[in-house]
Amino acid sequence: MAVQQLSVFIESKVGHLKRILDAFVENDISVKGYALSDTGDYGIARFVVDKPERAFTVLEGMGAAVKQTDVLCLKLMDVPGELARVFDVIAKQDMNVKYSYSLISTYIAIGVDDVVKAESALVNQPVELVSQVDFSS
Amino acid sequence: MNDAIKTPMYQPEIETMSRDEIRALQLRKLKDQVAWTYERVPWYREKMDEMGVVPGDIQTLDDIRKLPFTDKSVLRDTYPFGLFAIPMDDVVRLHASSGTTGKPIVVGYNEHDLDVWRDCIARLAQMAGVVPSDRVQMAFGYGMFTGGFGLHYGCEHLGCMVVPAGSGNTERHLMMINDYQTTVLIATPSYAMHMCEYGEKHGFDWENSSLRVGLFGGEPCPPALKEELESRMHITCTDNYGLTEVMGPGVSGECLASRDMQHIAEDHFLWEIVDPETGEPLPEGVPGELVLTPLDKQAFPVLRYRTHDLSYVTTEPCACGRTHARMKKVRTRTDDMLIIRGTNVFPSQVEDILAGIEGVSPHYRIEVDNESGLDHMTIMVELLPEAFTDSFEEMDKFRKHIQSTLKDSMLVSSDVKLIEPGGIERSFGKTKHVTDLRK
Repeated sequence: MAVQQLSVFIESKVGHLKRILDAFVENDISVKGYALSDTGDYGIARFVVDKPERAFTVLEGMGAAVKQTDVLCLKLMDVPGELARVFDVIAKQDMNVKYSYSLISTYIAIGVDDVVKAESALVNQPVELVSQVDFSS
Repeated sequence: MNDAIKTPMYQPEIETMSRDEIRALQLRKLKDQVAWTYERVPWYREKMDEMGVVPGDIQTLDDIRKLPFTDKSVLRDTYPFGLFAIPMDDVVRLHASSGTTGKPIVVGYNEHDLDVWRDCIARLAQMAGVVPSDRVQMAFGYGMFTGGFGLHYGCEHLGCMVVPAGSGNTERHLMMINDYQTTVLIATPSYAMHMCEYGEKHGFDWENSSLRVGLFGGEPCPPALKEELESRMHITCTDNYGLTEVMGPGVSGECLASRDMQHIAEDHFLWEIVDPETGEPLPEGVPGELVLTPLDKQAFPVLRYRTHDLSYVTTEPCACGRTHARMKKVRTRTDDMLIIRGTNVFPSQVEDILAGIEGVSPHYRIEVDNESGLDHMTIMVELLPEAFTDSFEEMDKFRKHIQSTLKDSMLVSSDVKLIEPGGIERSFGKTKHVTDLRK
């Protein structure tokens, strides 16, 4: 069920992120969500895309430092308290969220150490788990 | 034992002498050489008189420290023939090193000097796997530069057929390889790379060409470039070292058993490694400035020539069977040395250390500033894709690991910055590794 996230090592320099985005455009890859974090010297750009395999090949071909990781993807209802509810489920599993970001609409991606465990905790909750195929349509 | 690395020796009786025999031979020759120089070259006689030293003071090899150093400036000041030790009528050859500023440096040879030179070249060619039946294609320029004629006559002396093609005209070079079935290429590594690329572009079949050995010189050859040439041209490459001021190429050459180390022709050259700042001798294995005293030069003797080249020397036995000491091949000039908070740092050290760390490329850049009042060194290191993890914590751990590994070897701390794969500019030959912003 998990979604393939692509993480890319990027120097904090003008134009470096754009090179990657341009490559996505050229290869008809649609970004469904992303998060950028930065240490001042370098950053990690995380992407959820419609065609993760192709995106990986493209980035690898550019010589980029790229890594595929599983993240959990959820579609939330746009109502107050929804985010709190979801994170509460994970906290009750004694799991730490390493990072999280929102995607298109009210989709959010969550990075945890044990994706399967988090998923099984959420699967019985009133929240929609999103799979990679959902992005292909 | 891999026999491929045990190439035949040109003068086995000299090349396999015991360390004691070598030292005894060196001392005997050093005494003669100092006397020869003192008696015939006014500059040295005056200098030694000033220092209160006479040839008879040389009783051990360590006594060489009593002698004056020779710096390039002296060779310039005495232009053209001021340091020659024999009548000009007896000089049979002149060479010169290019003067980037002002006058060139002119050196001379008599028949004896040329004999020694030919032997040195024949030795290094054999070390690299060249045999008398080889056909040698010369892509060095001839002219005043010592490389062309030096290698030419040395290979001829060994018994090879030499094709004196000279530098340039790449298309003709490729034709000659095919038509004359040459087996050895003598070139600068950057010209070899040019030939390689030109050939690839024009359908030259490197894999099935007759060429099997590359003898490189004239400029430092980074290991990465050598590997690239070996795999793309399907040849075995070695490089050799020398400088016009002490003879030309042939001072040392790389054997096939110990890559990137070069056997010094110790019967003809006495080496010292000194601290480039103080001139004090450094222990074996410690990098410093290479100082050379030719032991067999009649026309143009020099004592303790400061090469400004950075190297270290080992006298440990070599698997190729040769006993002559090996010097680390020169990649940096001592002029490139940085002094960071009182510690000597050589950019090539950084490269060596990085080569030993998994997950980074050997490409790097150093930036030094003193904005805070103290010298501060930042080393930009290129991350390899396989070392990347999707975790800031691990990336920082990795960065600190590189930082502490560098510090352990260089004894001076630096900030390591991780750079994207391929993010450091590549240029073989004259890569500029250091930006010094200190005021």
